[in-house]
Amino acid sequence: MAGHVTVWSWNIAAESLNSIRPRFEAHDPKVHVIVDMTGAQMQMRLMLSIVAGVGAPDVSQLQNTDAPYYIATGRLTDLTSVAGKYRAEFPAAVWNSCVLNGHVYAVPWDIGPCAIYYKRSIFRRYGIDPNQIDTWDRYISAGSEILAKSGGRTKMLPMGSNDLSTLFGILLQQSGGQIFDGQGRIAIDSPQSLEALDVLRKMRMAGITSDVPTYSQEWMAGLTDDSVATYPGAAWLSGMIKDSVTAGKDGNADWGVFRLPAIEPGGLRVANVGGSVLVIPAQCRNKPAAWAFIEYALCSREGQLAQYRGSGIFPALLPALHDPSMDVSDPFFDGQMVSNLFTTDITKITPLNKTATWTEANGYLNEALSHWAATGMTKEDIFKPLAQTMSRRLMVDLAPGVSNVSGAAVK
Amino acid sequence: MIAHKSPMINVGRFSVYAFLAGLAVVFLFPFYWLVTSAFKTQAQIFHMPPQWLPSPPTLQNFVNVYHHTTLARAFLNSVITTGGSVGLSLFLCSLAGYAFAKYTLAPGHKNLYGFVLSTMMIPGAVTLIPAFLVMVYLHMIDTYAAVIVPGAVGAFGIFWMRQYIASNVPDDLINAARIDGCSEFDIYWRIVVPIIKPALAALGIMQLIGSWNNLMWAFLVLRTPDMYTLPVVIYLLNGEIRTPYGMLMAGGLLSTLPLVLGFLLFQKQFIGGITAGAVKQ
Amino acid sequence: MIENKRQELAVEPNTAPKTNGLTRGVRHANWFSRYVRYRHFYLFISPFFLLFAVFGLFPLLFSFCLSFVNWNGLTAMRWVGLQNFRLMLGDEMLGTALWNTLIIGLLYIPPMLVMAFLLAQLLNAKWLQLKAFWRAAVFLPCVTPMVVISIVFSLIFSSEKGILNYVLSVIHILPVPWLTSEQWSKTSIAILVIWRWTGYNMILMTAGLQGIPVETYEAAAIDGANSFQRMMNVTVPLMMPTFRFCILLSLLGTMYMFDEIFVLTNGGGPGTSSLNVGMYLFDLAFQDFKFGYASCVAYTIAAVVLIVTLAVNRLNRSQEKEFVS
Repeated sequence: MAGHVTVWSWNIAAESLNSIRPRFEAHDPKVHVIVDMTGAQMQMRLMLSIVAGVGAPDVSQLQNTDAPYYIATGRLTDLTSVAGKYRAEFPAAVWNSCVLNGHVYAVPWDIGPCAIYYKRSIFRRYGIDPNQIDTWDRYISAGSEILAKSGGRTKMLPMGSNDLSTLFGILLQQSGGQIFDGQGRIAIDSPQSLEALDVLRKMRMAGITSDVPTYSQEWMAGLTDDSVATYPGAAWLSGMIKDSVTAGKDGNADWGVFRLPAIEPGGLRVANVGGSVLVIPAQCRNKPAAWAFIEYALCSREGQLAQYRGSGIFPALLPALHDPSMDVSDPFFDGQMVSNLFTTDITKITPLNKTATWTEANGYLNEALSHWAATGMTKEDIFKPLAQTMSRRLMVDLAPGVSNVSGAAVK
Repeated sequence: MIAHKSPMINVGRFSVYAFLAGLAVVFLFPFYWLVTSAFKTQAQIFHMPPQWLPSPPTLQNFVNVYHHTTLARAFLNSVITTGGSVGLSLFLCSLAGYAFAKYTLAPGHKNLYGFVLSTMMIPGAVTLIPAFLVMVYLHMIDTYAAVIVPGAVGAFGIFWMRQYIASNVPDDLINAARIDGCSEFDIYWRIVVPIIKPALAALGIMQLIGSWNNLMWAFLVLRTPDMYTLPVVIYLLNGEIRTPYGMLMAGGLLSTLPLVLGFLLFQKQFIGGITAGAVKQ
Repeated sequence: MIENKRQELAVEPNTAPKTNGLTRGVRHANWFSRYVRYRHFYLFISPFFLLFAVFGLFPLLFSFCLSFVNWNGLTAMRWVGLQNFRLMLGDEMLGTALWNTLIIGLLYIPPMLVMAFLLAQLLNAKWLQLKAFWRAAVFLPCVTPMVVISIVFSLIFSSEKGILNYVLSVIHILPVPWLTSEQWSKTSIAILVIWRWTGYNMILMTAGLQGIPVETYEAAAIDGANSFQRMMNVTVPLMMPTFRFCILLSLLGTMYMFDEIFVLTNGGGPGTSSLNVGMYLFDLAFQDFKFGYASCVAYTIAAVVLIVTLAVNRLNRSQEKEFVS
């Protein structure tokens, strides 16, 4: 095996791949890897090259949620024969977006198990015990307490009304709902969706949310002042928090993490948001070398753990995820064993069924939620019209019977 | 006798000059900022209060842009595609313009010319997707031809050349050449082309500006770094995170300079070229 | 030989025989020989028709067919009939893009054309010195690559570290979030466009001014009109066709503007506050790869624009006739 392998990737992910390049090249000395942090409009250029059949890299990063869209083009290399054997080593929630009709076209890279980041100082000041917060109801009452005791200054969480679909997605995984059913039909109109929406409604009604756009200047500012007490988010968010918050001399920044609250007592306390995959476009001329790199970077414990240590990329590979070396206490979070906390029950998540139109569907969901938030969050069913919009726009059928179930639930 | 100027007129003229001077400052300022920023470090570019002149000036941006981007290659690509596009377009437009100007009795002449003119009404946005697909189907993606050929001969160019040839090339000259036994192509090449040089210059300059600055089509059809033209390289360098402004300014200056210098040297032809556009109505 | 050549002249008399049923054969032969005789004509214009067929006509027809399908360029095409048109009627994003186009146009077209007209007037004045310099200063933006200029402007417009806000702060005006707020992004685009295109319009107007016969001014001067009255009563009415042309060009330019928005506001941001029709079409096509729907929208917009343009032209023509008579 020999030759050059060009990889398109972005930000920290690209740096992370670059950092394991020397180890890989020690492993496969004749393969030379070039990681291209490819500048503007990477997704658009990748798709253009895939359509044109010219100019795609040998290996490319994709968002986990975008993977089904690219797989449906039929222009990615079928990796079933080489990657199929790793199926059991990845959580179903992420593996599922790499597969179409039983064929594997992508390999999961990292995952985004979610938890709640909180500011210890605020919790101490108002006497809140994070260990008591095991349901969203308790989370909301803790938030109300903080709001009242701080004289309205400190909100519990940031929740931009233009980006409600992320938190809704977390809640939907916990309630066991789906946007698409197993056959790719629209299943959003369900009691589970209403259950998830109800949590959002209660949060906003309690006045504990701060309406700032996600990742905006104001949102970032909330990390360092006391306008916001907690940030529900994925494991990869810790990198961003660590970047903006300066830790004290001991490396302790007075932040902590607790597990996601459940919807019902005893319910699921984990969900997955984001994460990436690597793919090999069909036009790649050096597939064995490209695969060798992917296999080393993503399917080997060594490659994944090196990336976690170097860049905080949370491995999707279960053997790496459960490796004892992941269990280190993090001084930033006052010595908490964070990774364990994130990954408990990760395999129990019901995977959301991803289709080629997932990203677009999510856009409609987001629009509907923004509209719902802007128009007073009435209890009326927003999911029936949303399901119809999705069905019309995406030109797929509604899942049968779902709306009946929903009707029953309303009674 | 020298006309006596009233003080009113003097005040009026002074304010006109003041207005023009102010306007010139505003219009030239972005160029000034481009040039000075190219010699600043990233920190100097964002220094507050702004540095009106880089102190100290640095050449590092030019070194970086040479080593870390394909700018040199892109410059060559831009020269090739622009050259090809200008050359081909001048040849084909003047040839067709000559035909429409001087073979007025050919059957179908009027309808064909009307058809040519009517194609000016088609907006590029409508044909963009299929034009891209045609490139894919013809395996022209990522070639110089993909940038040069589709815009090589347009209705406006033909119209412009026809107008000029019809009023500046005498029929007698063509007839005389025929009698001397010149072939039809020779008449075009040896008799017509030398006469229409001013029109060619004007059209060429318009084509030059459009082709050198083209971003969208080049972005779509050029797919590998070896083929990128200057606007594409500069656009991609303007990535979403940690934009390297120093390099962008250096690269931007290098790709702006040829046309600006060309313009300052051949101002009359440039303006003439654009005025040609005015005749379009 | 010479005789034959003479007949090819542009001034050749029309010798085509009047035809009737009896001379059909003869007519046919003439008809064919005329084509042969003018073969160079067809040869010389053929490159245009060839290229147009491949890159103009075929795409035009293809795009029309695409309006009725659902397709991303790779997977199988799906016939959806008029579904795309139905979607378009309820497309809020298209509404936003049209609205933004209108606002951006209103923000820049009037000031740009007024300025271009004034400049053209000034640069036409006999007494003015340094004409070449003034003209060059205003015109230079037209020859520079938009991508470079957009990046320079993004530096100038930077809210925290931009020179423009610095200058404003010196004269005690609060900083403006030029590119970071939904309220200001359209204005920033408008400023860039004014800077870029005033010179071009100035040249168009200069050409228009030079087409006005000197006698009309002399007549007005004899009637005792001052220079402002001359401008309003003589120049402006006679410049109407030029103005109309400039407005039409600017409207189309706003509709299909691309580079400015692609680079300066990163494709229509923040949010969708500076998304115009051209950018929206580009996004539909090459961000979402909805080739069918994108074609449908592009076709409809182009058809509406064409109809409106023709209607306005016809209206103007009939008005002018009335005016003359």
